[in-house]
Amino acid sequence: MTDTVIRTESLTKIFEKGKKREVVALDKVSIEINRGEVFGLLGPNGAGKTTLIRILIGLLTPTAGNAWVLGCDVTQDIDYIRERVSLLPQEAGIYDRLTARENLVYYGGLYGIPDDDLHNRADRLLDTVGLREKEDYQVKGFSGGMKRKVLVARALIIEPEIVFMDEPTTGVDTIGARVVRNVLKKLSSEQKRTIILTTHDLNEVAELCDRVGILNEGNLVAVGKPSELEEQFKAADLEEVFMGLVTGEGVYGQ
Amino acid sequence: MIWLIKKEVKSLFRSRWLIFGLIVSPLFAWMFEGAFLSFVVAQTSAEPETVYITLDDEGIWGNTLYSAIESEMDTLLIEQLLNVTRSEGDNMVANRTLSVWVLIPENFTQELEAANRSTLVVWVNTGNFRATAAAQRIDAFAKQVINEIVIIRDLRVDWYTITPEATYGHSLAVFLVMIVSVMAPSPYVGQSFAGEREKHTLEALLVVPMSRVSILIAKLIAGLVLTMLYSIFTVIGILIYNWSIVVRAVGLPPEVMDYYINLYTVNSSAIPLIFFCQLLILICAISIGIVVSSLARDQATAESINNLILLIPTMVIGILGFTGSILQYGGVFGVFVLAIPFSHAILFLNGVLSGVATPASLLGNVLYMLAFAMVFLVIGAKLFEREAIIA
Repeated sequence: MTDTVIRTESLTKIFEKGKKREVVALDKVSIEINRGEVFGLLGPNGAGKTTLIRILIGLLTPTAGNAWVLGCDVTQDIDYIRERVSLLPQEAGIYDRLTARENLVYYGGLYGIPDDDLHNRADRLLDTVGLREKEDYQVKGFSGGMKRKVLVARALIIEPEIVFMDEPTTGVDTIGARVVRNVLKKLSSEQKRTIILTTHDLNEVAELCDRVGILNEGNLVAVGKPSELEEQFKAADLEEVFMGLVTGEGVYGQ
Repeated sequence: MIWLIKKEVKSLFRSRWLIFGLIVSPLFAWMFEGAFLSFVVAQTSAEPETVYITLDDEGIWGNTLYSAIESEMDTLLIEQLLNVTRSEGDNMVANRTLSVWVLIPENFTQELEAANRSTLVVWVNTGNFRATAAAQRIDAFAKQVINEIVIIRDLRVDWYTITPEATYGHSLAVFLVMIVSVMAPSPYVGQSFAGEREKHTLEALLVVPMSRVSILIAKLIAGLVLTMLYSIFTVIGILIYNWSIVVRAVGLPPEVMDYYINLYTVNSSAIPLIFFCQLLILICAISIGIVVSSLARDQATAESINNLILLIPTMVIGILGFTGSILQYGGVFGVFVLAIPFSHAILFLNGVLSGVATPASLLGNVLYMLAFAMVFLVIGAKLFEREAIIA
């Protein structure tokens, strides 16, 4: 029996509701994500991916519908949820006057992780992302890719049950992106962590994701395993499915 | 919360320019004031002054001295030598309206001839640099006149000073401490919230299992820890300023020197009080800054708005503090002045230094400032809870 860790029912989010600038960011989205899954959220810019993540992590309140994370209602038990989930935001910044290690330890400290444990975890994660040698350098001198690696490590320092990663490999070079992907694979396969991943790199999706959900203009237009979607929409690959659903081009569009 | 405070303090202490500013601004303010005062004294000491004189002595020496002063008015930089009666002089002393009053007493010649020693009385307003310099010149000149004529005779000049309502040092401390304390946290509060948003670190901070109020309080505490550095250097600045006054006072007659030092220096026993008052001002200024920072889009905007909001009322009450009690104003303006939390810092400090405040009024001032800070923190927390802060 699968263990559902995220569930939404007709989740709707409308910004500036009733005003001239009203925007429907999410429109009755219903989705289920299981423990240990790597779930890819796909969609063009402005499709509602970040809004969905922000609702699930309690940064935004839904206009209508319901959402549960780890069995808890996001509007009721957000503290419980936040202790167990982690977020790597899309435009995540970093404290550049702190060192790589200090960034990790600080973030873990905010979650109340004991000091010794925190440093052990930091050692392990810095090794994993290949920044152990630079751990005592202030981050302000790091390249964009190195900063992104620190951010990935930071998101994992609390050993979350669910990790929301909004474009984790953006700006990272090919080798760095490979490192990040390997970390995510390991998290999923060995530690059974649930990963919600948004990305524009469909190869990454194909490599990492067990299932994907495609959002377009706030609507969830498709959910399933990449191979199932390809079969369902009679497409050669996931890109064709995506393009067909979002722009009307390709096999599905025809 | 401790982790957040530690991170804030650590980050800020690595911001060299911010730290430089917090160290230099109080030192500069006080050292500049010391140097400025020296400059003003040097300038005004060479300007002519009106001198009031009373000749009660009918003997030869009183007349000799009077005539000598009258004939050397240009040398002594006396603009006008105005004759006044003793009662007129006493009235001017009582009303604090005179600059220098030279009183040649009734028995001046008699004492000089009987005991080779007599006393000339000089009243001076030491709050007036020109008057102090004029009194010094008359002191030296009178001794020269009497001692040159009859070498064994000795003239003593007794100086009396007119006490102002509050010492200059005291008024200055209130003004400078308030102005600079209000402005000091601005760069910190600017970067603490608007800066987090600008650097895209806010979102990750808001998803940690901490209440927003805790985040605000942690930022407030970190700001206070940081600005303590500023407070410490304020104390050092005050000590340097006091030292510059003492150096300048050397050369004045001993009794005048004591008075002069007392007038212009900041009383050392008041320093802990100034420290406490500064803390209250900082709490209020940071609380206001937090609200501004929660609303502002970026750090530069936050700092600009913060400075704009704080500078005008602070300047108004800072200048009012120099003109007398800020409680003297009535009507809408009086209410406006009292609504400004920093007014209560001035009232508190003035009340304690002058010894006229009741414990209830002092407590009222402290509570007003704390309540003001609390209200702003609650407003800040509400603003912080808005979705708009992210969306």
